[in-house]
Amino acid sequence: MELELGLALPGSDRTPELGVHGEKRASLCRKRGVDEMLGKATLPLFIRKDNDEDGDDDSRQSKHLQELNFSGSRVLVGWPPVKMWRRKSDDCGRRRANCVKVNMEGVAIGRKVDLCLHDSYQALFLTLGQMFPKKQHDGEESDAAYYKVTYEDEDGDWMLVGDVPWELSVLKHKHKKAK
Amino acid sequence: MTYFPEEVVEHIFDFLSSHRDRNIVSTVCKAWYRVERLSRRSVFVGNCYAVRPGRVMARFPGMKCLSVKGKPHFADFNLVPHDWGGFALPWIEAAARGCPSLEELRLKRMVVSDESLELLARSFPNFKALVLVSCEGFTTDGLAAIATHCRGLRELDLQENEVEDHGRQWLSCFPDSCTSLESLNFACLKGEVNAGALERLVARCVNLRSLKLNRAISVESLARILARTPHLVELGTGSFTIEHGAEAYQRLIHAFQKCKSLKSLSGFWDVAPRCMQSIYSICPNLTVLNLSYAPAIQGADLVKLIRHCFKLQKLWVLDCIRDKGLAVVASTCKELQELRVFPSDIYGTGTAAVTEEGLVAISSGCSKLNSLLYFCHQMTNAALITVAKNCPHFTRFRLCILDPGKPDPDTNQPLDEGFGAIVRSCKDLRRLSLSGLLTDKVFLYIGEYAARLEMLSIAFAGDSDKGMVYVLNGCKNLRKLEIRDSPFGDAALLENVGKYETMRSLWMSSCDVTLGGCKALAAKMPRLNVEVINDTDESDEMEENPSDMHKVEKMYVYRTLAGARNDAPEFVEIL
Repeated sequence: MELELGLALPGSDRTPELGVHGEKRASLCRKRGVDEMLGKATLPLFIRKDNDEDGDDDSRQSKHLQELNFSGSRVLVGWPPVKMWRRKSDDCGRRRANCVKVNMEGVAIGRKVDLCLHDSYQALFLTLGQMFPKKQHDGEESDAAYYKVTYEDEDGDWMLVGDVPWELSVLKHKHKKAK
Repeated sequence: MTYFPEEVVEHIFDFLSSHRDRNIVSTVCKAWYRVERLSRRSVFVGNCYAVRPGRVMARFPGMKCLSVKGKPHFADFNLVPHDWGGFALPWIEAAARGCPSLEELRLKRMVVSDESLELLARSFPNFKALVLVSCEGFTTDGLAAIATHCRGLRELDLQENEVEDHGRQWLSCFPDSCTSLESLNFACLKGEVNAGALERLVARCVNLRSLKLNRAISVESLARILARTPHLVELGTGSFTIEHGAEAYQRLIHAFQKCKSLKSLSGFWDVAPRCMQSIYSICPNLTVLNLSYAPAIQGADLVKLIRHCFKLQKLWVLDCIRDKGLAVVASTCKELQELRVFPSDIYGTGTAAVTEEGLVAISSGCSKLNSLLYFCHQMTNAALITVAKNCPHFTRFRLCILDPGKPDPDTNQPLDEGFGAIVRSCKDLRRLSLSGLLTDKVFLYIGEYAARLEMLSIAFAGDSDKGMVYVLNGCKNLRKLEIRDSPFGDAALLENVGKYETMRSLWMSSCDVTLGGCKALAAKMPRLNVEVINDTDESDEMEENPSDMHKVEKMYVYRTLAGARNDAPEFVEIL
């Protein structure tokens, strides 16, 4: 499993949700990792709060947990308790996700999009709009009008995305460009 | 006692369906023991090392069905080294000698070699059913032997096994004369099979009711297969992506519409959300749906699908269903009995997919729920108390909070009260898995209230030896106890040694038990095998003679009539 670093923002849209008693809860995720959009699994940075407030400093259990609180990234063996067979299937699932490279003219670093997670061109354009910076032109908001998305077909020609029905295009696209 | 002729006693015993009941009646008196053992058709061996294979065959000469389990449960999570044991060959050899009329063999977590499969294929002329679950050690060559030699085979069910692919020919080894298959499951195989041979096979097996394909089978092939098997009750699809566009898709929809008996669906690897529309016509009849291999179906698509499935009794999904999706399940699936929510993001880089809210919603909508496996990012005591009140019928309750030792996020308290409510309310609870921050108190509750508990899984829990002792002294029906990364030591281990003879097994890893403690246990209890398993990676660094104070990394204790086993690898020390 390679560890990848990128310049992208964390890709989550976490909003504080209401708890059982109606109180707001703070953001839940304390494990930070690389943006999932890159399509690769990453090792978690295992950060955990101590239970000091309970006055349980001397309890063996919290000591036990603190021993595990490695500063580096270490994955516990056999945790979470998911069957090895299922983990392997998941890995295969990720690798076979239909990821396509997208480069924007004038932007050095490209992105990857998993076409399997989209079911229409609208959905794809929405994702691309979130991924790539918009130049503040005349305050124009419409993503579809702003970008021209092209792809390279089997013959090596650059074609405009959107002419062919979505289902047929899903497995054919390998490389896209946005202008 | 009134005298009954043996035939009458045997006839009465026919009504006893459970192994436990038959085991009990066999202990009443010699006459009953004799009648029972000669009339026993189905034998279950929960631990392959608890008894010698030959002994089983000698006692039950009329045996037709044999089930054997090998490695301990934690082997599923890579905690048991690869060559630990659990070999199927001795069992197959003994059965070949002692019970040649064997018809069914079920093995779980065992090492099955091609040699054993070949022996199996040749030794039992009436062989009808082979079920292998979480096994390893064989290749498609072994399957070829089964296909070739088992005339009259009705069931070949391979669930989650590690099978080495030696080519696609094995399926073609079913002879043209084979028409008896009723159930075929090769979903766990990685390699391709001959699609034409498969289609012909399913076409001529007119009694085929259960078919689970592997990922290598395309949608086009699926459509052709379904056209030939309209009476299927259970289907596991292969890869569910469309490659050639609209025509194959239409054929698929048409084929599904003809399958009026379909009640169970699984598979769906590599599925594109759009393709799920093809099964909308079957959804209203479904009682079982397994979408746990389909990470691409998220949120809205999943919900759209579930809304059609109002007869669902068993649902396996990934946590990308989210709390909102679970609320839809709660309002739609009123017949739901079993729910499993698996983590889609095992390495925890991202969003909290399901929380306690989803579980509370399910509990208020699905009052028939009795079996749960739930991976989530957090849980609260309040939620568990509510769930316990809404669903008092749980027999299996397995909760896995992904962050070990995590407290209730609302109150920062341990989850003792929440789990306490579960064991108090669910009087029929047989299986329980704990997680989150837990003190000794939860074990006090478990020991006191979980009277029917048979299996308990503990990880990163407890404060002291007292916790484990509460459980050992309290749960009178406990059969399997497995503990990892918890502060239980020798005092707990040795507190109630007699208990272990009433249980199948005890597993403890990364706890505070020492070698001295294990030796003491072994010395006191000769009818237990106390295995100390050393991690093969560290064995080079370990001293030649570790002191008794040395903490044991992994320990597996089980009752046995067979004495120390002779097939243990170097890194296993049997005390």
